[in-house]
Amino acid sequence: MEETVNQIVRLLQGDYGLSKRAVALLLLQGDEEIFALVEEKDGKETAELIKQILREVKGGGERSPLYRITMVRQRFSEYIAGKVIEEVETKPITISDRLNDLLIHPLWGTLFLLVLLYFGFYQFVGVFAAGTLVELLEDKIFGNYILPPIERFFNWLIPWALLRGLFVGEYGIFTLGIRYAIALLLPIVTAFFLVFSLVEDSGYFPRLALLVDRLFKKIGLSGRAVIPMVLGFGCDTMATLVTRILETRRERIIATLLLALAIPCSAQLGVMMATVSKVKGGILVWALFVFSVFLLIGYLTSRLLPGEKPRFFIEVVPLRVPKLDNVLVKTWTRLQWYLLEVTPLFILASVLIWLGQITHIFDLIIAALSYPVQWVGLPKEVATVILFGFFRRDYGAAGLLDMVEKGAIGGIDLVTTAIILTLFVPCIAQFLMMVREHGWLIAAKIAGFIFPFAFLCGYIARQLLLLLSQFGLFG
Amino acid sequence: MGKSDKIVRQKRSIGARIAEWWNRQKSRSYEAEPQRRVALVGSPNVGKSLIFNRLTGVYVTVSNYPGTTVEVFRGRTYIEGVLYEIIDTPGMYSLFPSSEEERVARRLLMEERPDIVVHVVDAKNLERMLPLTLQLIEADLPVVVALNMMDEAAKFGIKIDTELLADILCVPIVSVVATTGKGIEELRRVIHATASDSSLDQIRPEFGRDSQPDSKAAAR
Repeated sequence: MEETVNQIVRLLQGDYGLSKRAVALLLLQGDEEIFALVEEKDGKETAELIKQILREVKGGGERSPLYRITMVRQRFSEYIAGKVIEEVETKPITISDRLNDLLIHPLWGTLFLLVLLYFGFYQFVGVFAAGTLVELLEDKIFGNYILPPIERFFNWLIPWALLRGLFVGEYGIFTLGIRYAIALLLPIVTAFFLVFSLVEDSGYFPRLALLVDRLFKKIGLSGRAVIPMVLGFGCDTMATLVTRILETRRERIIATLLLALAIPCSAQLGVMMATVSKVKGGILVWALFVFSVFLLIGYLTSRLLPGEKPRFFIEVVPLRVPKLDNVLVKTWTRLQWYLLEVTPLFILASVLIWLGQITHIFDLIIAALSYPVQWVGLPKEVATVILFGFFRRDYGAAGLLDMVEKGAIGGIDLVTTAIILTLFVPCIAQFLMMVREHGWLIAAKIAGFIFPFAFLCGYIARQLLLLLSQFGLFG
Repeated sequence: MGKSDKIVRQKRSIGARIAEWWNRQKSRSYEAEPQRRVALVGSPNVGKSLIFNRLTGVYVTVSNYPGTTVEVFRGRTYIEGVLYEIIDTPGMYSLFPSSEEERVARRLLMEERPDIVVHVVDAKNLERMLPLTLQLIEADLPVVVALNMMDEAAKFGIKIDTELLADILCVPIVSVVATTGKGIEELRRVIHATASDSSLDQIRPEFGRDSQPDSKAAAR
C-alpha cells in the first residue's frame, strides 16, 4: 500500500492546499470530489494513470483501501491515547446516566415528552403567554394607551383618508403590522424561545432524536433527520439549511418537503397553539391531524423517491443543568433576529395591501382566494387570513387570532383554518432557502404541491370534524 | 448531488445573496483586511462555536446539539496588534467527507489555506478524535490542537498528559474549557506564536515519514 501511495504522490503536480500524500490517500479511499480536482489540476492523462493504479489496488482482492487506512489510523490513535490518557478512577453510574436511560425509554421517554409539551409549551406558551400576556398587551396597553394617540396624530397630520389608511387604516402599518408584531407575536414568541432554549441547553434534544428514531426510520428518514425537524420548530428557514447534514439527496428532499409542509416554526407554533386553544379540544385535534399528515407524506415520499436506505447516526451530548446566562443570551439573540426579520415584512405587507386596495388588485386576489376557501366550507372572511399566510404563516395566524378575539370565527371553522395555515409554506425566506438549496424547479414543485394540498387537507379535516360533532364528540 | 455541491462558490441565487448579506450583518464587516486566517475544525459538538465566540466576541448560536453550524461563520480579532480572521466551520469527522457539512469544511481548508488550523477536540473522547488530528497533520496543515472540555474530562476521571501528546504529534497542544473561558488566552498566544514562527514551515515534520513505522507497528 505504501508503494501505491508513493506512486500516486509522484504523479501529482498541482497545488491542492493539502499535502500530496493526503491527496493520494483520499484518492485511494475513493474520493470522487478529489478525483475531479485532479482531472482539473493535473490533466486527464494523469487522472487516467491514477485511475489505473486505483483499479489495480481494488483488484488486489484484499480488504478495501478505505477500510485499511481507517484501521491503521484507528490503531495508531488507540496507541497514542493509551500512552497519554491516565484514567484516575472508574466512573461511577451517575444520576445523569439514570436520567438518560429514562429519557430514551419508549414508555417513560414518551411520558416525559408529553409532560414537557403540556406544561412547558401548552400551559406556559399557549395559556399564559398567548392568553394572559397578549390580552394585557393588546387590549389594555395597545388598545388604550398606544394606538389612540397614534391615530389622533395621523388624523391631525394627514387629511386624506386614502393616505391615512396606509398608517392607521384597517390594514395599516401601525394598526395591523406593528400591532401584530409587538402585541400579538412578541409575548408568545418570547415565551416559546425561553422554553426552547432551556430544553436545548439541557441536552434533551438528542435523546428525543433517539426516541423517535424508530418512527422516522419507518417513514424513510434517519434519526439524524430529527435534528432539522426539531430545529424546524425553532425556525424552518434555518432548518432547511441544516438538512445539509443529511447524507443522501433523497433524505434532504424529503426533509425539506416535510419542513415546508408540516413543521410549524416557533413563531407560528405559539400563535397556532394559542388560537386553537380557544376551542375545547382544538389543540389535540389540530396536533393529531398535522402529525398524521406529516407521517403520511413522509411515508409516501420515501416510497416514491428511490434511494439507499438511511442509517442511524447521532452524537449524544451530555445532559447538564442549563446555564441561565446561556439560555437568556440565546433567547435574546433569537428574539432579536425574529423581530428584525418579521417587522419589516409586516410593514411591507401593509404597504402592499394598501397599494393593492388602491388598484383593486387586493379585492381581486381576495375574490380569487375565496373560491377555495368557500369550497372547503369556510366563511369568506378567511380569505384575508389566507392571504396574510402567504407572507408568513405566523402573520396569517396572528390575523386568525385577531378574528377570534373579535368573535368573527370559532369552533370547527377555526380549527380548519388553523390546519390549512399550518400546512402552508411558512414564509418567503424559507421558500428562498429551498430555492438556494435545491434549485427553482424542486422548490416550485414543493410549493405547487403544498398549496392545493393544504386546502384539500382543510376540506377533509372539516368533514371529519363535522362528522365528529354530529356524534357530539367535538365543538 | 451535482447541483447542491457547488453552492458555496459558483451558484449565487437570490437566497444565497440574502444569506450572505445576513451573515455579514451578523459578523459586522470591518474596514481593515485581516493579515492572518485561523480555521476552527473538529467533530460536531466539541465546542468550536463557543471557542469562536470566546476568540472573536461575535455571537454564533451555540447549542448543546450536534450539527448546528452548517454555514461558515467569520469573525475578527487582534492578537498582539495583528488582525486575525477566525473561521468557524461545520463539524467534520474525517477529511474524507460523508455529508454535505463535512464537504463544506474540507473545501474551506483546501481553498482558503488558513495560516493556522485549530483542531478542537473533546478531551473526554480523545481517542475518537485523534484520527482527524492525524489526517490534518498528514495533510501538512499548520495544526494547533485545542483540548476542550478538560473540566468534564476531569469529572470522568480522565487525565491527559498534554506534554507527551505534544511530543508524539509534534504540534502545540492547548487545554481549554470553552464554557468558562479558561485557557483561551493561552490559545490566542499559541496561535500567534505558531503563526509568527516562519521557521516552522521548513521543519514541520512530515507525518508520514516520522510516525509511519510506529503506526505500522501499532497496526500489527
